[in-house]
Amino acid sequence: MARRKESDRAQQNNDDSDSNPNDELEEEPNFDDPEGYEDDISEQDLMGDLIRQRPKETDGVESIVVIDGVPQVGPERIEKLQNVLKKLFQKFGKITNEYYPLNPDGSTKGHVFIEYSNASEALEVLKGTNGYKFDKNHTFTVNLLTDFEKYNDILDKWENPVPQPFKEQGCLQYYLLDQDACDQFSVVYEQGDKVAVYLNTQPEPSLLEERPRWTETLVRWSPLGTYLATFHAKGIALWGGEKFQQIVRFSHPGVQFIDFSPCEKYLVSFSPLADSRATDEPQAIIIWDVLSGLKRRAFNADKSQALPIFKWSHDDKYFARMGVDMLSVYETPSFGLLDKKSIKVQGIRDFAWSPTDNTIAYWVGEEKDTPARVTLLELPSRNEVRVKNLFSVADCKMYWQKSGDYLCVKVDRYAKLRKDKSDIKYSGIYYNLEVFHMREKQIPVDSVEIKETIQAFAWEPVGTKFAVIHGEPPSTSVSFYEVKTGQTPTMVKKYERKPCNQLYWAPSGQFIVLAGLRSMSGALEFVDTQDFTVMNTGEHFMATDVEWDPTGRYVSTAVSWWGHKVDNAYWLWSFQGRILKRVALDKFCQLQWRPRPPSLLSAQQIKDIKKSLKKYSAQFEVKDRLKMTKASKELVEKRRKLMQEYEDLRKQKQEEYAEQRRRRIELRNNVDTDETEGRGGELEEETVEFFIKEETTFIDE
Amino acid sequence: MKPLMLHGHERSITQIKYNRDGDLLFSSAKDNHPCVWYSINGERLGTYEGHQGVVWAIDVDWETKRFMSGAGDNMLMIWDVQTGKALGKIEAKTSVRTCNFSYSGNMALYSTDSTMGNPSEIFIIDVRTVDSSFSTNDPILQIPLTNAPKATSMVWGNLDEVVISGHDNGDLAQWDLRTGKKINLVSEHAKSINDMQLSKDGGFLITASRDCTAKLFDADTLECLKTYKTERPVNSAAISPILDHVVLGGGQDAMDVTTTSTRVGKFDARFFHLVFEEEFGRVKGHFGPINSLAFHPDGKTYASGGEDGYVRLHQFDPSYFDFKFDY
Repeated sequence: MARRKESDRAQQNNDDSDSNPNDELEEEPNFDDPEGYEDDISEQDLMGDLIRQRPKETDGVESIVVIDGVPQVGPERIEKLQNVLKKLFQKFGKITNEYYPLNPDGSTKGHVFIEYSNASEALEVLKGTNGYKFDKNHTFTVNLLTDFEKYNDILDKWENPVPQPFKEQGCLQYYLLDQDACDQFSVVYEQGDKVAVYLNTQPEPSLLEERPRWTETLVRWSPLGTYLATFHAKGIALWGGEKFQQIVRFSHPGVQFIDFSPCEKYLVSFSPLADSRATDEPQAIIIWDVLSGLKRRAFNADKSQALPIFKWSHDDKYFARMGVDMLSVYETPSFGLLDKKSIKVQGIRDFAWSPTDNTIAYWVGEEKDTPARVTLLELPSRNEVRVKNLFSVADCKMYWQKSGDYLCVKVDRYAKLRKDKSDIKYSGIYYNLEVFHMREKQIPVDSVEIKETIQAFAWEPVGTKFAVIHGEPPSTSVSFYEVKTGQTPTMVKKYERKPCNQLYWAPSGQFIVLAGLRSMSGALEFVDTQDFTVMNTGEHFMATDVEWDPTGRYVSTAVSWWGHKVDNAYWLWSFQGRILKRVALDKFCQLQWRPRPPSLLSAQQIKDIKKSLKKYSAQFEVKDRLKMTKASKELVEKRRKLMQEYEDLRKQKQEEYAEQRRRRIELRNNVDTDETEGRGGELEEETVEFFIKEETTFIDE
Repeated sequence: MKPLMLHGHERSITQIKYNRDGDLLFSSAKDNHPCVWYSINGERLGTYEGHQGVVWAIDVDWETKRFMSGAGDNMLMIWDVQTGKALGKIEAKTSVRTCNFSYSGNMALYSTDSTMGNPSEIFIIDVRTVDSSFSTNDPILQIPLTNAPKATSMVWGNLDEVVISGHDNGDLAQWDLRTGKKINLVSEHAKSINDMQLSKDGGFLITASRDCTAKLFDADTLECLKTYKTERPVNSAAISPILDHVVLGGGQDAMDVTTTSTRVGKFDARFFHLVFEEEFGRVKGHFGPINSLAFHPDGKTYASGGEDGYVRLHQFDPSYFDFKFDY
């Protein structure tokens, strides 16, 4: 078309020039198409934009749905069927057209076309009636008519997906090969702008990696320490290997919380604000496969659920979430419900997995005449291995010991109950600790009663002790109990009036830090629970966090900018409470030790090592001493250099000073003040005697 | 040794200074009466009465004859040290923030705040004769800091040929007195410079800044040599006349004081090695930030004045002199 116009114009021009005889010499060439010329330009090229707007056959088709699985009826019952279907499908919008294809004999073919006034209504129908059970034998399959086109386009030839090239990621466990088994820790500071990873070498931690804007909020180590997870607006990134290169990325906009499964095979990410309306797929919670980076399953989240919503079994085989009156246990790697159905538990309040076995403990609140109860449920068999009924229960909290040997349920019990309309008021609250002996037959339960308010409870991770802070602050007490087979736990030690609010056991037990964080101004007490000696006390003013390193050799305390706005710093202590290092960082947020996987040594090997500890410790001491002398030598070297530089400068200054002597004297009226400076002038000591008082005393003879 | 507590001021101390001989200690506070004390026993010798506002800065000349004070009542006053009589005064447009006698004692400088549309200004005046006509004399030099950060601290340099000013924004400027021109400017500090003091021979300059650091400069080239880091704004810093030590004092702003406890030691005077920048000692005592510090000219005592209104005179223990860094 365009070409044609141009040539028309050319024609005109030609005419013009023809009419002007003076310009005959400059006659323009003739642009006319020769007779019978056919344009070889397709319409598509000429006016692709217009063609694209041309109505298609399928226009308006998106508001048509095809319903399959409709009963086939003879002509006499068509009207009845139409009425029934109309009633059903009218709910979703205005039906503008319907079509029942018929067999030659007049009976329906078993599928129906219904057209709605617009496409969104058709989509609603799809959601609402696909899989609808019409009667016992008929289930509807609903599709959009446009879908047929999509399915038509499927290529006949199957192309195998191209395997991704293998990416070498180096040894992700390299940090366990450190010669001196030093631990790493991550530090987030400057309000999250900077993240650094240090190796906790003595006497000075050494910097391994520091990156600006590595994360947008905080970082998390995976439970075995293989990965470092960073948070971004668009999702989560995992880093690992010696150079902390990116291993995998999970795209989940607005992600705020993550949770690794205990064997770090899976990652659960939670984006509280994710909008799932845009698509059919749930967006709020996504479970990812860490190794492949693929999404395994997504869930919607209820608003008021406590985090983490999903709790994992110790071996990554199961994960569970609590719903209203039910407990949903999912299995991996299918990510479907275990036995395809949730476990009905009327009035379930909370649950917790055993850290070592596939056993779930959950508790159910009181309901009219039925008492509250704690149930231990074995999976996948769903055997209730132990049920314990409890009376007058206001609240329960379950604490598993890390080795899975014991479960303690802290029961808040009441003496009186008053119902005020909808809210219930308890009075005369006292506390029971119900200890389940998991490793014994029939799982016996012992109970300890504590009259005072329990502020904190903590199991010794390895061992048989637990610690309780009870009483009203500031006059709280700390009690230690020992659990023995066949008898109630006995109190082994009580510290009266210990101002603290948090308990931090060393990961291997025996040692504990009693900490008074935040409002208790950061008082720390390091206790050896073998003989209950207070090894040391300290204070990190306004400390907000205490963390043990994974080996139990060091403790870090921190004043996080998130909790307190001034004096943000982290301090490192030995497990005996000796301060090793104070590091003040601007807007320091978070310190996290890199976890270690459980030791591969057998119990016997560990025992042997403990036996010959003297031999080993001698070696380590030599090593430490060497390191210290080397460090101090370096320091002395550095100081010497600094001093040398300074001395040179000072010498120069002194020369200048000497040169200026004449001028100085001139300025001060020819008085030489250089020598008298600071001597109080020409001071002479003078003794002045005063007569103060005279006394006469008679001595009796 | 137990420090001497000089309790004569009713409000927070703003500046303390020893005279050249070290027998007297002068102090000023937010009450209106600068004091003079015997440094040996802490006995108060007298006060200088006449100001009607916060006394921000004081100085004494090398002969301990004249004492100078600048105050929030827009007055710069020069006093006879011995009698306590005001010899002369100058009224400025705004409050007088700093004042210093020159090495010779023939000149003095003072600087004013920028308020009510008036810029901060630096004045150099002749103080050879101070009498009733003093207030009408023109200054030798007047440097208005129009559209520039105000001067918060000043010292004389290089035998009365230059002055060095520390500013609100952390800048350090050097001015040539003959031309009145700025000859050097360094921006090492991030926040306002609260105090500057020279070393005994005038070769080095220590600055104390709100950015939580004190820095050592070459007083001639203004080259930054050392940095002493703390966690709190540094209000004052001084160089020991006999050892390679510096002392820093500070604490957070008075309005934030309640967020910390004295136990944390943020109000301690902190001693650093001049060369290694390492902290080796702290002296507790004040229950508020330290506003001003001074070494006795013999280096065996130091004084600190705090927001709590006390001046404390500390005599060093023998262990202080025995302590040596390994190098």
